[in-house]
Amino acid sequence: MKLSKVFYNGLIKDNPIFVQLIGMCSVLAVTTSVENGLGMGLAVTGVLIGSNLVISLLRKVIPDKIRIPAFVVIIATFVTIVEMFMKAYTQELYNNLGIFIPLIVVNCIILARAEAFASKNNVLASVVDGLGMGLGYTLALLILGGLREILGAGSIFGKELFGPAFEPALIFIMPPGAFILLGILIAVFNSVRKKKATTES
Amino acid sequence: MNEILKLGLILFIITAVSASVLAVSNNITEPRIAEADRKANDLAKQEVLETAEEFDILDEGKLKEVAGSNSNIIEINEGYSKEGEIVGYTFKTKVKGYGGEMELIIGISTEGEVTGINILNHGETPGLGANATESYFTDSFKNKLVDNELVAVKDPSEDNEVQALTSATITTTAVVDGVNIVREIYNSKLAN
Repeated sequence: MKLSKVFYNGLIKDNPIFVQLIGMCSVLAVTTSVENGLGMGLAVTGVLIGSNLVISLLRKVIPDKIRIPAFVVIIATFVTIVEMFMKAYTQELYNNLGIFIPLIVVNCIILARAEAFASKNNVLASVVDGLGMGLGYTLALLILGGLREILGAGSIFGKELFGPAFEPALIFIMPPGAFILLGILIAVFNSVRKKKATTES
Repeated sequence: MNEILKLGLILFIITAVSASVLAVSNNITEPRIAEADRKANDLAKQEVLETAEEFDILDEGKLKEVAGSNSNIIEINEGYSKEGEIVGYTFKTKVKGYGGEMELIIGISTEGEVTGINILNHGETPGLGANATESYFTDSFKNKLVDNELVAVKDPSEDNEVQALTSATITTTAVVDGVNIVREIYNSKLAN
């Protein structure tokens, strides 16, 4: 399998948020600003690369019967490491993301990639898969977080965009706005993807 | 039986390795986390009571004596000037906001003025209640006398009026109530 294809699959073709629709909870909750979205996306990417790497290394050692508990231990270890380092070096971001950092453990993207990819493929391909899926997740968070911050707060990366005359549409910062925008984004993303698929064939 | 032992052993090895990796990273990050926490806490106290150089926390017995049955007060610090004189107090207080508990820190000087407030933790709605952390709101509490009950209004003009947050009445009321509780405790127990 070509590595560039593995990467493209994660980023676009099987994008975890827009196509597979997994791990949505954190996506809806942390995207009130681009900065939070970016932080969360990178944290998930880090965990995903680490867990894919180790699980792929151990795929022949771990017996089938205990693979799930073994995967969960490995994933939880990486999440805890990421959590500790974020607390130590990026405390403000950590405070903003709150409970959603420890909850990466139960983010189904991570276990899904371990089960569907890393436990069946070699180390290099698994790392690339982790990177692609992680960046695909980050991409979705960036787009959603960016739109919500622009529409709902009139700013981007905390900087005012339109001056005091602009009345931001508060609904986009609140949970209903997240659902509405995510729905629209999924529709757009999939119609573009479908068009591309038909022109290719 | 043999197989169960083998599976258990493999799982044990994986968890043991995980635990040691975690122990190592905990060792690296622990001092930094403690340092960052302490700094954040000190900074918050310093910000609300600028005249103080050093802080001394009231121990539990004394805290109970001052706060009485009031469970809103979590922590009280005495602030000392360079010369070792008491210049004021900081009160860590919890109140119930719109999105759950909010933690505030409030500074009161021995002259009987609110020297500043700061919102430490909160779960208020971004864009509405979360504006409580903005300086246009917190600064409006500065230099208010503790003698009068504070009220929040849209355009503060009187001495006992502070800025209200637009479309966030519950948040505003929670913070103002918190400051009023502290004000009363200061008046009844700490003011000379």
